[in-house]
Order: sequence, then C-alpha cells, then structure tokens
Amino acid sequence: MIWLLDLSNHTLFWYYVGSNVSYLVMLIIALKTAAAHQRRLQSYRLGWLKESPLAPPVTMIVPAHNEEKSIRVAVRNLLELDYPQLEIVVVNDGSQDRTLEEMREEFRLRQVRAVYVAETKCAPIRGLYRSENSGNLLVVDKEAGGSKADAINAGLNAATSPYICVVDADSVLERDALLRIMVPILADPKRVVAVGGIIRVLNGSEIEGGHLKRVRLPRKSIEVIQVIEYLRAFLIGREAWGQGNMLMIISGAFGVFRTDLVRAVGGYRARAIGEDFDLVARMHRLLLERGADYQIHFVPDPMCWTEVPSDLRSLARQRARWQKGLLDVLWPNRDLLFRPRYGRIGSFALPHLWLFELFAPVVELTGLATIVLAACLGVLSRHFFLQFLLFGYAFATVISIGSVLQEEITYKRYNDWQDVFRLISYCFLEHFPYRQLHMIWRLQGLWQYLRGDMAWKPLKRKGLGPART
Amino acid sequence: MESIFERLWRLGPAAFVVKAIVAAVVADGLLLGFILVRRTYRKRYFARRDKRVFELRQVWDDLISGKIPYDSWRQKAFDRRIVETIALDGLEAASAEESARLLKFLRNSGLIEKRIYEARTLKGWRRMRALVALGQTRAPEGIFAMSQALRDRDPEIRLAALRGLGRTAAPQAAEEILTWVGERGLCVPALPLQSALIQCCAERPKILIPYVRQAKGPLREALGRVLGEVATPSIGPDLLQFVGDDLDELRAASARAMSHSEPSLAFEVLHELVRDPIWFVRLRAIVSLGELDDARAVPDLLVGLTDSHRLVRLRAAEALVKTDAPIVPNFQKVVGTHDRYGLQAYLTAIENAGLQNHLEAELQAAVLGSQDEKESLLKILREGCLPSTEPDAPVISPTKSASLP
Repeated sequence: MIWLLDLSNHTLFWYYVGSNVSYLVMLIIALKTAAAHQRRLQSYRLGWLKESPLAPPVTMIVPAHNEEKSIRVAVRNLLELDYPQLEIVVVNDGSQDRTLEEMREEFRLRQVRAVYVAETKCAPIRGLYRSENSGNLLVVDKEAGGSKADAINAGLNAATSPYICVVDADSVLERDALLRIMVPILADPKRVVAVGGIIRVLNGSEIEGGHLKRVRLPRKSIEVIQVIEYLRAFLIGREAWGQGNMLMIISGAFGVFRTDLVRAVGGYRARAIGEDFDLVARMHRLLLERGADYQIHFVPDPMCWTEVPSDLRSLARQRARWQKGLLDVLWPNRDLLFRPRYGRIGSFALPHLWLFELFAPVVELTGLATIVLAACLGVLSRHFFLQFLLFGYAFATVISIGSVLQEEITYKRYNDWQDVFRLISYCFLEHFPYRQLHMIWRLQGLWQYLRGDMAWKPLKRKGLGPART
Repeated sequence: MESIFERLWRLGPAAFVVKAIVAAVVADGLLLGFILVRRTYRKRYFARRDKRVFELRQVWDDLISGKIPYDSWRQKAFDRRIVETIALDGLEAASAEESARLLKFLRNSGLIEKRIYEARTLKGWRRMRALVALGQTRAPEGIFAMSQALRDRDPEIRLAALRGLGRTAAPQAAEEILTWVGERGLCVPALPLQSALIQCCAERPKILIPYVRQAKGPLREALGRVLGEVATPSIGPDLLQFVGDDLDELRAASARAMSHSEPSLAFEVLHELVRDPIWFVRLRAIVSLGELDDARAVPDLLVGLTDSHRLVRLRAAEALVKTDAPIVPNFQKVVGTHDRYGLQAYLTAIENAGLQNHLEAELQAAVLGSQDEKESLLKILREGCLPSTEPDAPVISPTKSASLP
C-alpha cells in the first residue's frame, strides 16, 4: 500500500510540476504577444479597411433556437457591424417560441427562393426569407435538428461568401469586431484559414439597443469567477497556443473560417457535443494530411460579449457538456497523437489537452484520494502537505492575477476601481470551493459520456433585453 | 543571527517547496502591486492630461498661428505631445484648407522635422511611433525618412513605414515602395503593401506596370491585385499583356481592371476570361462585365450563369439583373439555358432586387411567340423551376456537389 502511495505521490508531483510549468510558459508567451500586438495596433488603420476593396465578403451565420428574447437586438447589432461586404444568415432552428415572428416583424421578412445548395447535411428546410429593410439579411427557417451544428450547416449551405463567421444569437459583437478578426486573413489570405476572437462575459454590463453601453463586472460570485476563467482561457491559453499555430478551439460564439474548407471537412458534425472544437480538429487533420502550409490564428481584440450561466445548476450542465465535448473530440482523434505527420498538433497540443484538460479532474480526484488514504494510514506529512497546498494556492493565483494583468495592460475594459478590486479578490477566492465543484462537474461530464448520455440540457438565460443591466 | 536562507536550508526536503511558496507569493505581490501602481499612475496622468488639453484647446488658434511662441510649449515634452496629437487628429478629418493650415503649423513649429529626425535615428518602438506620426502628417518631406525605415530589420518598423507611406497617397511614395519591394521581394504581409500601393498609385497607376512585369511569385500576385484595383481606362492597352499570363492572380487582376477600360476592348478580353479554367478569374471577369453595365455583356453573363462554381453563378445572376437590357428577353435567355441552378440564381437576384412583380407584369404585357410560351414563362417565374426537367422539383435545390467547389 505504501508503495502504491509512493508511486501516486511521485506521479502526481510530476503531473503538477508539468501542469504549472506549461501554464507559466503560456503566461509569459501571452504577455509578450499581447505587448507586441498592442504596439502593432498603433500603426493599424481599421477605418481604411472598413471601405477597403481588399476585404473579402463574409457571411455571418447566426444559429437561433428559441431566441425570441434576444433575436431582434442580436440581428440589429450584427447589421450595424463595420464591414464592407457582409451577408447575415440567421438560422431559425425549429424554434417553438416566437423567434421567427419577432424577426418577421422587425425586419419585414418575405419568403424567397434564395440559392440554397444542400451540400452539407442538416434537417429539412421549411423556408427562406429575405428582409425588405436589409438586403443582406437572409433567414433560413428549418426543422429542429437537435444541435447547434445542424443549424450552422444549414447556414453554411445558404452562405455565398468565401468566409463564414459563426456567432451566437445571444452574443453582442463590438462594432469593429469583424474588421479586427479579419485582419490576419487580409494580411495572409492564402495561409490563414481560420481566426478566433475573444469571448468576454456580458453579465452585469449595460446594453442599449444591442450595443454594449458600459462594461461592468457581474454581481454574483459565480459570474465573476467565470470572468476570471474566460480571461485565463483566452488571454493566456488561446493567445499562447495561437502564437505557436496550435490553436485547437475557436469558440463557437465567435470565429471566422474559410467556407470552402468547412465544406471540405463536411461542415459541422451534427452529433458533436463540442462542435466548435470538433471542426477545428478536423480542419487541422485535413490540412496536415494534405501537407498544407496554413495558420489558425487567435486575435485578442475583436470582442464578443456573451451571457454566461448565472446559477450553479446551469453552470454545472455547461461544464459537464464541455468535458463531454472534449472527450468526444479527443477520442476519435487519438490517432493523431505523437505521429510526425501531424506535427506540433499531435506532439504538443493534443497531448496537453489529454493530460491537463481531460484527465485533470481524474488526477485531482486521485490526488484527494491519496491524501485521504495517506492520512488514514498515518503516513501523511502534515507539514509538507500544508506547504504544498500553500504553494499550489499561491501559484494558481499567480496565473489568475496574470490574466487580470493581461486585461489591464491591453484592453482595460473594467474601468471602475471597485470592479478591479473585486476581480483581484476573486483570484484568491476561486480556489475553494469553486475549483472542487468544477472538478465534480467535469467528472460528471466524463461519466455521462461513458454512459452514453448525450442529451443537451438547456441553460437558464436572461437574453438580451433592450436595456438590460 | 541565522539568515532566512539558512533557515530554509534547514527545512531539508521541504526547502524546495518553501522556496516555491516564497517565489509564488512574491510573484502574486508583484503582479498586484504592478496593477495597482499602474492604475494609480494612469489615473493621475490622464487627469493631468485632460486638464492641459482643455487649457491648450482654449488658445488653439493663437497656438497654431504662432501668436503664442512655439518655444513656450515645444520645450515641454508633455505639452508637445498633446499639441501634436491634437494637430494630427485634426488632420484626419480636416478640409483641404484646414489641412494646409495644420500642415503649415506642423512645419513652422518644427514638429515634422523632429519626427523626421526621430524616424531616422531612433530604434524600436520609438522609431515606430515617429513613423506613425510622420505618416499621419502626410507631408511629402517625410517620404524619404519613411522609405529608409522600410529597410529596418524589425518587421513592425517596416510595416509602420509602409502604412505611413500609404497615408501620403503620393506617387513618389509609391516609387519608393516599389523600388524597395523590387530589391527585397515580398518581406511584409501582402495586405499592408497592397493597401499602401492602392492609395499611392491611384493618381498614376502606370508606374506599377514595369514592376508587375518584372516581379515574380507572390509579389507579382500582390502587385497584380493592386493593378486590378487602381487601373483606369488610360492603361487598358497595357493590361492586355497580362490577360494570358501564367499566374492566375494576374489574369484575375486583368479581369478586374477591365471594368475600368474602354468597353470595346474590355468585352473582347472578358469574353476570353469568363471561360478561364480558374474559378476566381471567371468570377472577376463576370463582376467586371456586370460593372460595365452594358447589354452587350449578356451572352457572356449567361455563360457565367451556368458556371460550375456557385459564386460565379450568383455574381452572373446579379450582373444580369443589373444590366440595362430588357428584362423579359433576358429571362427567356436564362430559361433557354435549361440550367436549374442558373435559373435559381437568377430568380434569387430578381427577388433581391425587388423586381419579381415588375418581371411578372412585363411578362404579362409582352408580345411573345405564343400564349403557351408566355404561360410557361410565368409558371417558371412563379414556381421557380423548369417544368420540362423536373415538374415537382422543390424550391430547395438538392446537392450539386460534383460540380461545386
């Protein structure tokens, strides 16, 4: 038994060292990249791009399922985006509420026979509508396909531009977000095949007419902790992975892809739980198998604000689903691991996801079990345990404060001192008991996946009201 | 007395962890301290700046006319930065007269000379900042300093210089850029290069031609794209040499440029290019045909309407709807192609243009060969499908993947 504990101790220690070193390296890379990006922005002229003939047409695909509360505001917001050639395709995915009627009233929709080539599989289409107010708005009304991926595929079939941008109907894009996310593509259209933008937490902020009026930190602790998580994930994780061309996830709430490539991989996988991650993984596979010289970028300044769960139940469901999605993508792509053909994706990005994302809750649980077992057997060094716990706590806080620092020196969206103090204090408070709860939710996700429970459970949301605070 | 390090050493195996704790706690403290100090500093700085901006704004006219001696603010870096920022921001949105006044002020006060000096002598981000400011002035005397910066080792400096040169929108700047890319090749991303050249070559697009002819590989593509954007009727004959070029991008650029050429020349060339094996060359040719807005383009647009590529079909349909040719004969010709996808693209374009009722009324009023033909055309218009091929074809088309991109 002691031998087993010893083995477990060693394994967990090296796992912990590996995990911390990787996060530290990511933090350093991210800080360096963000500083360079900020300097670079000084010489950018987005105003010129806004009218540039070099900007390729983009189709925005907005899947909407029971979005009656927010659809008017969301679409109006998209129609006002700064971009020279923009087509908006809203897919009403079998909504049982008034989503279609809301759009019909607001945008004076009329049924049309627009071009729709059912190249990518999706549920049957009921009708296509074009707005009389805005010529670039097309609404695809389809039967419920049971997944967001299915709705996006319908939008993909109706898209007529060389690039698609997928946006959630409950998200708010900053006016120049599309211009900013297109910059890497405009700079190198042959190599850049996809770009991800940053997702920020909308809860607590003031919105007026679909536009973000004032950024504020949410009131509830659970929401503030998610703000820190999003900052950490995007401003540190994605920034660093993107820098090494190893970005594996482009958030489903805001990302641009080359249309022909999305079609080439067969569109979004309708049954995928994490359809965004799945698509990027399949794109990497296809391009690496073709031996293509390509890049998938992350740009930290085009901001998309989205509502996050504000109650524990919804958050638990979301996190369990994310963990299921992770396994759902990693397992079919296990053949990519450590094969020279798949380059750094197979050697670094995927192993990191397996080790430090997928297995993390299992390892955490094993760690806790080891501590309990050692205590029961009387071999636990309390002194060392406390020291190690303190180190873990202090180090995890370094990473969290690092992400707040990133936000401070770059985009600085939280202007109130009060907000910054709260944000920093939650960097210290998130470790107990939120982290442990998070571990349980992720374990639940894994368990559900192994049991074959793939049901999509709805999350409670407020939606984008006309003047929500 | 025992030092802290000795005490740590005595802890034995736990010493490593204790050191790690100390390091992590110190890192936490430093990060926090940095955030708080930075915030405090910025708050004070911006308060002070706002106050000074307001004061300077009150005397702005006296300041730029020279009534207030330049030396009174030039010697203070804080004031100088504010005055320069206000003047440069003013230039962005100024009328021609106001621009001339501001530029005169920037010259007389020596701010331009200072920036030229900085752009030549400084290194790193300071040089970049000077280049950005110099570009904002659009002063021709800054062109040489910016062109020197194009040879900097740092790619960000090169980009700043390129963007600055682009802002001047002067053919002289275009010459400098073209000489540089001629020497070094494409050593910056294509977009900023193209943007800068489009602005600088708009006045004299002809200066591009010899460089496009000599350039190779990706640079040739990039320059070809610029040529396509800035071409004017005056360089139409020069473009003919690129119509049969091996490079797809250059053929596409020629096709794009043809929309600015004499129609008689353009139709002949575009007639060839709409049959090009590369889809985006065909697409450009179709778009150009549409921009010519001439009924003579209809036969070639019908070719585009039956293209295997969806985007080509869509653009051809839009162009057909836009042409000044009578709508009923056009519709008859579209139906005559017997292409379901072409027909659907055309009807979509008709609907998008809000012309469906107009076409229906025209069809009702038209004198056609027979009543049956009229009925058939009306039925096709209403149902959106060709009766002879698939009478019950649904509105939504099935997959045509074999011929699609």
